[in-house]
Amino acid sequence: MEARKILLTEDEMPRRWYNILADIKMNPPLGPDGNPVKPEDLAPVFPMNLIEQEVSDQRWIDIPEPVLEVLATWRPAPLVRALSLEKALQTPAKIYFKNESVSPPGSHKPNTAVPQAYYNKVFGIEKMTTETGAGQWGSALSYACSQFGLECKVFMVRVSFDQKPYRKSMMAAWGGKCVPSPSTETRAGREALEKDPHTPGSLGIAISEAIEAAVADGSGKTRYSLGSVLNHVMLHQTIIGLEARKQFEKIGLYPDVVVGCAGGGSNFAGLAFPFVQDKINGKQVEIYPVEPAACPTLTKAPFVYDHGDTAGYTPLLPMHSLGHAFVPPPFHAGGLRYHGMAPTVSQLVTEGLVTPRSVTQLDAYHAGVLTARTEGIIPAPETTHALAVVVEEARKAKEEGKEKVIVFNWSGHGLLDLGAYERYFCGELENYELSDAEIAKGESIFQNYPKPELLKGRP
Amino acid sequence: MKPDPYDDLERRCPRLGGPVSFHYCRTSGQGPPQCWKVIDCWWERFEVVTYLKAHMTPSEFDSLTSAKPKPKVATLVDLIRRARAAAGNEDT
Repeated sequence: MEARKILLTEDEMPRRWYNILADIKMNPPLGPDGNPVKPEDLAPVFPMNLIEQEVSDQRWIDIPEPVLEVLATWRPAPLVRALSLEKALQTPAKIYFKNESVSPPGSHKPNTAVPQAYYNKVFGIEKMTTETGAGQWGSALSYACSQFGLECKVFMVRVSFDQKPYRKSMMAAWGGKCVPSPSTETRAGREALEKDPHTPGSLGIAISEAIEAAVADGSGKTRYSLGSVLNHVMLHQTIIGLEARKQFEKIGLYPDVVVGCAGGGSNFAGLAFPFVQDKINGKQVEIYPVEPAACPTLTKAPFVYDHGDTAGYTPLLPMHSLGHAFVPPPFHAGGLRYHGMAPTVSQLVTEGLVTPRSVTQLDAYHAGVLTARTEGIIPAPETTHALAVVVEEARKAKEEGKEKVIVFNWSGHGLLDLGAYERYFCGELENYELSDAEIAKGESIFQNYPKPELLKGRP
Repeated sequence: MKPDPYDDLERRCPRLGGPVSFHYCRTSGQGPPQCWKVIDCWWERFEVVTYLKAHMTPSEFDSLTSAKPKPKVATLVDLIRRARAAAGNEDT
């Protein structure tokens, strides 16, 4: 029998996170006054030890022993050879995936929730707050807080709270208190309820409530937590790729292709950043962040300084964006909008170290279902985007007759997100893609914007 | 806008991670009543731009298409300032 899983012992688990900020140069986030955002600006909601990580350019950061002890509950995560998928595709490619669905909440999210809870604990924090949409991040943070004896308050967008009562139960099982947002517990929530007592809520209101709950605690013992986009979140996730690198060493292979879905960027960064480091040091490896074809900002948008509103009230951040002033043509609207992405991932695109790919949702679900029927695990909808590129690359390898090694991040299982599959099975999804001409039209809006310096960490 | 046949259509919201109806997408925004991603998310199902233009004034439509979410750090800084001001901790 051919081995499917490449395992590490707990002793072999990485002891340090890899900080990509040591190897790339970044344009700083800018405040409303045009100056860089300072660490103290974030101090009311994050403990200083995490803020130090957020701005650190130290290449390796030790993983504290108490964090390792909790991560060892499910880590090291297996690197799995997708033999059945390979067979179905009749490809000479060897396909591997890091199975992040094996964590207690079923996704990669606790890789950062656990250290965030730990750093808050040692900073003297007793309670954490956060917002969650359908509950994936809220579940991960509830779990993490339970491991360090912290209270956890989760503001869950009402529409999802009502649809997914089991998420509240899941968080409660870990001691987290999940309340529907808007709630009566914060000024932001009460204002929203005054406007509409039956409002289904929104992420904007939920984040306002979570921040307010942290800031308004006069004891100073409450902080807020975020599960995506920020540098320290990407840092904590690199344990995925560091493990994968060791696992490939064990079998004497190295990937030709690394793939991860890029929404906020953390599951892509987690697998890819250690391989980006290798690429910086001369390794030949193709690295693909994958986004939905409807939002091709990384794929085609220019790298610009852009801000969050037309009045210029919010800070300018260097990012790939098609901006706010573009009015989509009537028939071709999809994707021509701002799409949030971790600044570190945007920078890697700018430097040419990673190559964004986009896939249609139909191709994503085709690949997701094919993989479920071969490998058995039902992938989270986000994971299916990576899978679509994996399938494409495997077919390409077959055409070229090349035995490529492909690895992707299986960021979570889809057992709590089956509604998305239901729509696919009902034939409700359709595809549409943008033309280069339409994208080019969008770029004209940045003519009068400041241009970020195209920084590169090497010649 | 009045209820209409599209209101009961559902899709997975990429921001929430769960299913929402079109009615939610056209009413859950902050600022403009529509979510800023309403066009991104629904163009595959029906001609949502045509629909929106038919139900909005030109300035409302322009406001929607020029709106976008703040970058995360910017959002945090902004919300911290507002929360501190509301709590009386800062003169902003």
